[in-house]
Amino acid sequence: MGKFALMAACFGLFAVSAVAGESVIIGVMGPVTGPWASEGEDMVNVVNIMAKEINAAGGINGRTIQIEVGDDAGDPRTAALAAQRLISSEVIAVVGTYGSSICEAAQGIYDDEGVLQIATGSTSIRLSEQGYPLFFRTCPRDDEQGIVMAGKVADMGHKRIAILHDNTSYAKGLADESRGNFEKLGLDIVFFDAVTPGDRDFTTTLVKMRTAEPDIVVFTAYYPEAAMILRQKKDMRWDIPMIGGDATNNSVLVEIAGVEAANGYYFISPPGPMDLTGPAAVKLLDEYRARHNAVPSSVWAMMAGDAFGVIVEALKHIEGEPTSESIAGYLHNELENYPGFTGTISFNEKGDRIGDVYRLYQVNDKGEFVLVQ
Amino acid sequence: MEVFIQQLTNGLAVGGIYALIALGYTMVYGILKLINFAHGELFALGAYLGFTLLVSVGLTGYFGTGAAILITVVMVMGLSALAGYLLERVAYRPLRKSDRLSAVVSALGASIFFQNAIMLIWDARYRAYPADLLPNVTLSFAGQDIPLIRVVVLATSVVIMLLLYFFINRTRMGMAIRASAIDQGAAKLMGIDVRRVIAIVFLIGPALGGLAGVMVGVYYGQINFNMGQLYGLKAFTAAIIGGIGNIHGAMIGGLLLGLVEAFGAAYISLAWRDAITFCVLIVILVVRPTGILRERVAEKL
Repeated sequence: MGKFALMAACFGLFAVSAVAGESVIIGVMGPVTGPWASEGEDMVNVVNIMAKEINAAGGINGRTIQIEVGDDAGDPRTAALAAQRLISSEVIAVVGTYGSSICEAAQGIYDDEGVLQIATGSTSIRLSEQGYPLFFRTCPRDDEQGIVMAGKVADMGHKRIAILHDNTSYAKGLADESRGNFEKLGLDIVFFDAVTPGDRDFTTTLVKMRTAEPDIVVFTAYYPEAAMILRQKKDMRWDIPMIGGDATNNSVLVEIAGVEAANGYYFISPPGPMDLTGPAAVKLLDEYRARHNAVPSSVWAMMAGDAFGVIVEALKHIEGEPTSESIAGYLHNELENYPGFTGTISFNEKGDRIGDVYRLYQVNDKGEFVLVQ
Repeated sequence: MEVFIQQLTNGLAVGGIYALIALGYTMVYGILKLINFAHGELFALGAYLGFTLLVSVGLTGYFGTGAAILITVVMVMGLSALAGYLLERVAYRPLRKSDRLSAVVSALGASIFFQNAIMLIWDARYRAYPADLLPNVTLSFAGQDIPLIRVVVLATSVVIMLLLYFFINRTRMGMAIRASAIDQGAAKLMGIDVRRVIAIVFLIGPALGGLAGVMVGVYYGQINFNMGQLYGLKAFTAAIIGGIGNIHGAMIGGLLLGLVEAFGAAYISLAWRDAITFCVLIVILVVRPTGILRERVAEKL
């Protein structure tokens, strides 16, 4: 039995290297199983649809594309194994992954082996601060949201800002980031405090906040608390606009708050798949719907499509045998305003995406999330 | 002044909910010297049963809103009482003769069981009571707008606590409960069916907990499967502040805890609210180790 396995393995190896001559192997690392399985599945589906289309059209410069899936299961240890497996399948570039801590576990391994990686949902700031030359991402960084938040609020003409977070690292980080940017824009922070996650009663918070007389409430934590605050704000008959971050982009918010209380609530978030109106995105979503009878549940799968798209774009422009280095060189220096599904894409020297991904949404009087700009 | 009035009424409403849950802890402790860790989960179960009756079954469609809420409350209290009775029957009664540690472990196990059962039956996501259940009416009090629902929550808990007070102090069954709390052996010798008393305590406590669950659902509109943990901890704290085992203590402890939370958050720091609350607990325990009203005031009788 062992001999057979060994022979099969050898055969498999030959088969791979035989194909490698005319095809390019691109890895997709994502949480195909585990708590974020739906995200991972969507990522793989999107990339597969795009790869099939390219291969059906004869490949890129005569080379076909082969997709190798590495399942990180949303777990750092599994991610390290998945990265090694992809490397031994001789991938030239890897699309993914979703979770930041998962990405961090695999980053060093890809760097050691000189494999290009384009993360698709890992927004943690420090991922691109480690100086890995072959690391890129199509998703925004966490600090980007704070900049956009401050800009949008200032555009609305508000002067006195109340900021509320919940002391979790995400919410506190966004609150601090937003505060810095508000101060840069010369707006007054009249209130800055935290609520307790899981809490239900925010009357105290609201009463205290009201005495500070803000023009707008900036809420940086998650949707359950946001919904309760909206509801209790309405019960107090305090008519003040409120804006939240992407962690409040969840339709349960309206269910909890009630349509009347949620009406008018703003939040900034990367666009949902259904709000991507570019022709390429519409075409891909149609294809996706035809094959899988649904659309991706979040924008992160579309970011995976964009990561794959920029790799393909690089391959088109590289003469001779492509390498991770030559792709990275193209992405760093030559790629400019590539029309991706989620907007235009360029990369800075750290590998972070340039260009705003965040959009402003508002809840309308039917409780639907409407793209404002 | 605005802050003071709002916090006063809000603290009392939240405190009333804590007090209702705390009564379940304290009554069981008074008789069995057992901390019923599963009590917080029974409270959550009540909230979910209320959700099912109001939203899934849609009682509001068959009756008017007021009647539907009333029917829901009665049914939830009954079902929670049944769950409490079964809990006692399955998890505690077989361990009556074994040492207290076994019963505590059994209570912890029951708590985990209930929490997971709620998660599996109703799903892990947040559930919402209908937002338009009660009209958004406000009352004017000392120049401030107070939401009617807040007053209703406080009034309900006060009425229920008064009823319980009379039941415990003025009826034969209440007397039997007090007697069993002081000395089970002597109570048995006096012809009191202690086993029945325990069963009754396990009916009343969870019924009050279930009622508190529906109140939280209607008041805040949002429930989730692990809400029992937070409220359970707060109510347990309230029971200890008042003196665990002491029914009046649980009522006072609950209201006091609600006020401490509300005023601590308003005048000291929002983010430090829970830290302040538990500091108060520590101070009270250092000054009066048996709680404000002492453990089991019944011994004085």
